[in-house]
Order: sequence, then C-alpha cells, then structure tokens
Amino acid sequence: MFITMQEFPWAVIIIVLPLSGAMLSFLFPRWVKLLGVLVALSVVAAVVGLGWQVVEQGAQRYAIGGWGAPLGIDLYADGLSLLMLIVTALVCLGVSVYSTGYFNRAYFRRSKANYFWPLWMFLWAALNALFLSSDIFNLYVTLELLGLSAVALVALAGGADALTSAMRYLLVSLLGSLFYLLGVALLYHSFGSLDIVILSQQVEPSPAVWASVGLISIGLLLKTALFPMHFWLPPAHTSAPAPVSALLSALVVKASFYILLRMWLEIFPVGGTALGQLLGLLGSIAILWGGIQALRQTRLKMLIAYSTVAQLGYLFLAFPLGSYIAWKAVLFLLLSHALAKTAMFMAAGNILHFGGHDRIKDFDHVVQYQPLTSAAFALAGASIMGLPPSGGFIGKWLLLEAAIHSGQWWLVIIIIMGGLLAAAYVFKVIGYAFTQSRVSHQTRRVPVHMEWTALVLALAAILLGLAAPWPLALMDIGLPFGEGAAG
Amino acid sequence: MEAISLLPLMTLLQLVFDTLLGFALLWLAWRALASPELFQAIVLFIAFGLLMALAWVRLDAPDVALAEAAIGAGLTGALLLATLARLEVKNRAKSELEKKHEVRVITEKSKHQTFFFLLRMLLFMVVATGLVYAVLTLPENTSGLAMPVLENLESSGVSNPVTAVLLNYRGYDTLLELSVLLLALLGVWSFGGIPKPYRSFPGPVLNMLSRLLIPLLIMVAGYLLWVGAHAPGGAFQGGSVLGAAGVLLLLVGWRLGTRFVGLPLRITLVFGVGIFVSAGVVFILLGRQFLEYPPSFAGVLILLIEAAATLSIGITLAALFLGGRPEFRRHK
Repeated sequence: MFITMQEFPWAVIIIVLPLSGAMLSFLFPRWVKLLGVLVALSVVAAVVGLGWQVVEQGAQRYAIGGWGAPLGIDLYADGLSLLMLIVTALVCLGVSVYSTGYFNRAYFRRSKANYFWPLWMFLWAALNALFLSSDIFNLYVTLELLGLSAVALVALAGGADALTSAMRYLLVSLLGSLFYLLGVALLYHSFGSLDIVILSQQVEPSPAVWASVGLISIGLLLKTALFPMHFWLPPAHTSAPAPVSALLSALVVKASFYILLRMWLEIFPVGGTALGQLLGLLGSIAILWGGIQALRQTRLKMLIAYSTVAQLGYLFLAFPLGSYIAWKAVLFLLLSHALAKTAMFMAAGNILHFGGHDRIKDFDHVVQYQPLTSAAFALAGASIMGLPPSGGFIGKWLLLEAAIHSGQWWLVIIIIMGGLLAAAYVFKVIGYAFTQSRVSHQTRRVPVHMEWTALVLALAAILLGLAAPWPLALMDIGLPFGEGAAG
Repeated sequence: MEAISLLPLMTLLQLVFDTLLGFALLWLAWRALASPELFQAIVLFIAFGLLMALAWVRLDAPDVALAEAAIGAGLTGALLLATLARLEVKNRAKSELEKKHEVRVITEKSKHQTFFFLLRMLLFMVVATGLVYAVLTLPENTSGLAMPVLENLESSGVSNPVTAVLLNYRGYDTLLELSVLLLALLGVWSFGGIPKPYRSFPGPVLNMLSRLLIPLLIMVAGYLLWVGAHAPGGAFQGGSVLGAAGVLLLLVGWRLGTRFVGLPLRITLVFGVGIFVSAGVVFILLGRQFLEYPPSFAGVLILLIEAAATLSIGITLAALFLGGRPEFRRHK
C-alpha cells in the first residue's frame, strides 16, 4: 500500500511544500516567520531526498496524475534541474533566515511585512515547479506564477520608485510570457505535443519552428534581461526590499535562462548557428556595458544590479561555443553568481539598514562597524571577479578553456575584461568601506543573523570553487549537455 | 435538391461573417489601443472581448467562448472601469501645479514619439509578416492530442473533454493557474486597504435589477459548475459568473460583515487551491501518483474540486473588484 523510499515522489513534495506554506502563511499571518523558516528547512530536506534519488538512480521522471506525456504533464529531474533546485534551496533558506530580521515590525508596516512571506513562498513554489517541469505549456504557467509573485514583491517596498519599476517589470514580464506562449502554440500545432522529450525527437526545421525559436527566445531573453533588453532590471532590482533583490538577481532571472537553455539544448536545432553568435555578441556587450555602468553608479544597490546585467552576459557566451565544456562552465557560473549575488544584496541590505542610505561615497567605517557584512561583500566580490579559489573562478576558467579550444579569441578578451571591470567596481565599494564619511549618520543596529546569513552565502560561493568536482559530476546525470568525450 | 443548392450559400455566408468578424476584431483592437480617452478604450476593450467570444464560437470552442465572455469581456471590463473610477478621483484631487507639470512632461516626450512610433511600426510589420508566413506553412491536418484525450475519456470521470483536460489530464496546470489567481489577489492586498474615496451610490434601477439578478447569477454559476462534467461549463466559467454576482453586490453597497473579513474570508479564498493540493497529496499517501484519481471515483472528486474552485474564484474576483484588503476591525 505504502510507497518505498526509492520511489517516494520528492519532486512533487518540493513543489507542494512551498505552495502549502504560502497558503498557510496567508491564512495565519501571526505565524509567518516560523512557517517561513520551517518550510525552508523542509524544502531543503526534500531537495536532499530528490538529490539522493537522482544520484542513486539517475534522472527521474514522474507522471503527474499517472497519465504520462503527451497526455499528462511529466516532472523531470536530471543533474541540471537538481543543481538549480539545490542552489534555489540554499538561497531561499538564506533569504528566509535573513528576512526574519529584515521584515521587522519596527521598520516595516506589519501588514506589508506579513505579505512578504506568502508572496515569497509562491515565488519559491514557482521556481521549483519551473526547474522540474518537462512540459512547455506548464513552463508557461510557472513563468506566470513566478513573474506575478516577483512583481508583487518588488512593489512591497512601497513608494513611487518601487511602484513604477514594479509596473514596468509587470509589463515586461507579461510581454515576455506572451511571446513565449505564442511560440509554444506554434510548436504544439506543428508536432501535437508539449513534452520536451517528445518534441526533441520530432522537431524538424520548418518556418513555424523558426518562428517559435524566435518568439520563445525573445520572450525569455526579455525576462532574462540580456542587453539591450535589460532596461527594466536595474530599477526593479534596486527599489525592491533587500531579500527580494537577492531573490530576483540570484534566481528569478536565471529561471527564464534555464528554460532557454533547456529549449536550445533539447528542442531547437540551432547550436553553433548565427543565432548563437548573436546571443554571444549581446552577452559580450552586456558584460562590458553592465560593468561600465556599475562602475559609474553612486548607490550600492544600483551598482550590484548593473553587476547582475554584466554577469548575466557571461551566461550567453556559451551559445556561440555550444560545446560540452562551455555549457557546464556557464551553469557553474550561474550557480556561483546566484550565491555570491544573494550575499552581496544582503550585505547591501545590512549597510542600508545600518546607515539608512546606500550612497557609496558616504560610507562611514563600514568595515569597523559591520565586519561580517564587509567580509561577506568582499568574498562575494571575489567570486564575481573570478578570483581563485571561488566558484566564479572555476566557471570563468572553464569558459576560457572552451573559448580557447574553439579558437574564438574575442571571447577570451571579453571574459578577461569583464573580470577587470568587476574588480574595479567591487574595489570601489570596498575602498569606501574603510574611509570616514564627512557626513555623520544616525545608525541602527543590524541583527547578527542578518550579517551571518550574508557571510555564510558568500562563503558558499567560495566553497563552490573548492568543491568544484562534485557539482561538475552532478551536471552529467541524465546527460543534459550531451556526451563529454567531444569536449 | 434544395439542400444541395443551399450548401454553398451557407458556406459563403459563413465566410462573409468570419471575414467581417476578423476585421471587426482588428479594428476594435486598434481603436482600443489608439483611443486617447481611457473610458472609450475600456468600452472598446469590452466590445472586443464580446466579439472575441463570438470568434471562439465560430472556432467550435464554446468553453473558451464562455470564459472569454465572462472573464475577458465581463469581469476584466469591470476591473478596468473600477480602476478608472479611482484614477479619476485621484486626478481630481491633484493640485493645479501638478497638472501643469504633467502637461510639460507630455510635451517633452512628444519629440521622441514619432521616431519610436516608426520604429515600433517597423518592428511590428517584420514580426507580423514572419508570423503570417509561419502560420501559413503550418501542417494542416494535425489533430494534436485530440485522439488520446477522447480515448481516455472513460477513465477521466467526465464526458466533457475540456473538463477532462483541465481537471484531470492537466489538472496540475489548473492547480497552478488557481494559485496565480490567489497570488494576484495577494499582490493587490499587499498594497494596503481599500482606497477610501471610492464609494458607490446605487440608483433605483441598479437596486431593483440586482435583487433580481444576483440570485439568478448564483444559480447560473451552480448550473455551469454542474454541467461542466458533460457540456461546456466548469469552474472558471461558474466562478466568474459568481464573481459577477459579487461585483453587483459590491456595486449596490453591500459589504462583508467585519466578523467574516478575517480568517473566514481568507479560508474561502484559499479553499480551491487547498482542496486541490490536498486531493493530490492524499493519493500519494494511498500509493498512487500526485493528482491520480481512481477512475471510479474521479467524477465525484472533480466535482468536489471544481465546487471549491468555483467558490474561491468567485470570491477572489469579487475581492479583486473591491481593489484592496478589507480591514479587519475586531480590536477596535
């Protein structure tokens, strides 16, 4: 009657837990903080359960409702989705611990603070559902859930800036979803299936397929904020509350990238074509433009947001290369950026919370007052720059290797220049953290666990580099990037 | 003999009707977008929704037509009009100084407008041409998943294939869609309470009509829910009709008693998703897959889930129309 551990549907549990958590925390606002931490811990446990299954038994497929594709919807977990789920769980656990301090009654209206929790858990449920889905229409639904919760979370900050950028974010997000949906409709009509695996077996180049490649790519690129479609990102990520900025930069933009990656790897026959070169070119411009813009910013959160624009650019350098190593490098960069950027936004949140502002030039002995936060920012910065032994270093190293291997030297130059720009803007912040400000500010105490969370996540980004063989081996489960021998 | 000669005439009439419908849709969409006045744009949008419902009927998709008429034209229109009413209240409250400032911003923008207008038109033309070409080259006779949907209808618990897809084969999608609706309300509520200046004064017509219409609407909602098992209808259609009843109630000035505004209201809102998720999880514990209903029991279960969903959808839509979190005042 009862099911054994081997076939326990962890994948479903990972989606249902945050969904139920969201509903419960909506029903019982008094218990939100406790619920948030409990749900975070139990999702982490469930992800460990799924990880154990995937490592022991290989890629997992789960037919919801018992119908199976193409009639029903399948969940699918291989190394790629597992790693996305793991990094999501880590970031979200950090966010939930951090938010118990951040959404304090003293600084946030209680009615607003209470709404953070259900919205954030809906966002988490959407992310988990997205990383596990094997159905392109179901992916659309998860995208809608994700986009709407992200927009509501940005608006939570209140004020004209936050509301304006939330509105713009909503419109961009809906436009992106509609492009995606139109592409899905064309694919479904052409091949009579929505399942990624079935589509990958049946797909043949035709005008409709090319149209859907274009539509889906544009929709998802808009959501991923690839240059020049990044215009909405810096205001939205800056005006949101700090834990929300962390979620947006670390995970939400990566979710649409993940779908794009799956589509390009499995359905679309476009690897190494001119379209891939175009994406690589846009990615390169994003790296340089984002880096220069970050350097020009006077406010810390804006700087970090532009840094996200630059770092997202790296993810697209794999498209012109299209090799096994390049995909793995990019996934590695994605994971380490998620951890490092969460730490950075949390550190920025702490500094903002402490001094009441985030003007870089007016930092007043931040290092002295908040040593843990400063350490977190510096360590996260090291990973963003790509200093050894951080996760960012391994990712960039692999990407350099792939670029040299395929003889695309221009990419090598871009990767190195991006690293230099990152170093420049990170050192700019750290430099001011040591100085005294001419203006004195009223300061507030920052709860210790908010500082520690930032530091632990920054350390995780560094440790990711030291433990690199382990995630790199996980990536091969289910062969999402094809056979390694060719690379 | 006559039947044969009438056939081409009917096809011709249908062709003429479809062409007119298509052009009318395009024209309404264009007018709604181009209209400088918001009220006009909203009315055009509602008309667009109604014609769109007709188009779905012509495409033999009565379920979608019902949903489009109820949600696309009806409730979305009501939401837009409610928003407009609040915008106007706000604008009237604005000082003259701010208005002047606004005018200046608009004139500054207009310098760039022509360039961006041309750019957008160009982009639009390129995309439209590409899409038309892609659609014209689509394979003609694809039935999609129609065959497996019909083959498994017997074990799905319902005889309406659309309901079978929505509540059984792809119930997981519907579960997430219901979450999207709940999330939308959460987002609106996170902004704060009901905007104060908005108050309605029902005239005698509205007062009389609502007395007649509200019981009727609730009955229609129940009928749509019930009939969804074997004919066009279901939770979304029923829910939106229920929502319309709620909107009417709100328009005549009725408000939920403060006793029910707290947890009871929230439970009603969460009910649909809650029951759906619970139904899914219970079957995992019984050794089946998530959302895998036993065929003998599926019909009852789907009706149960749909009933919960109808209630939640209706209340959620009405709450969205209210536009803010009803205040819970027990401690005062």
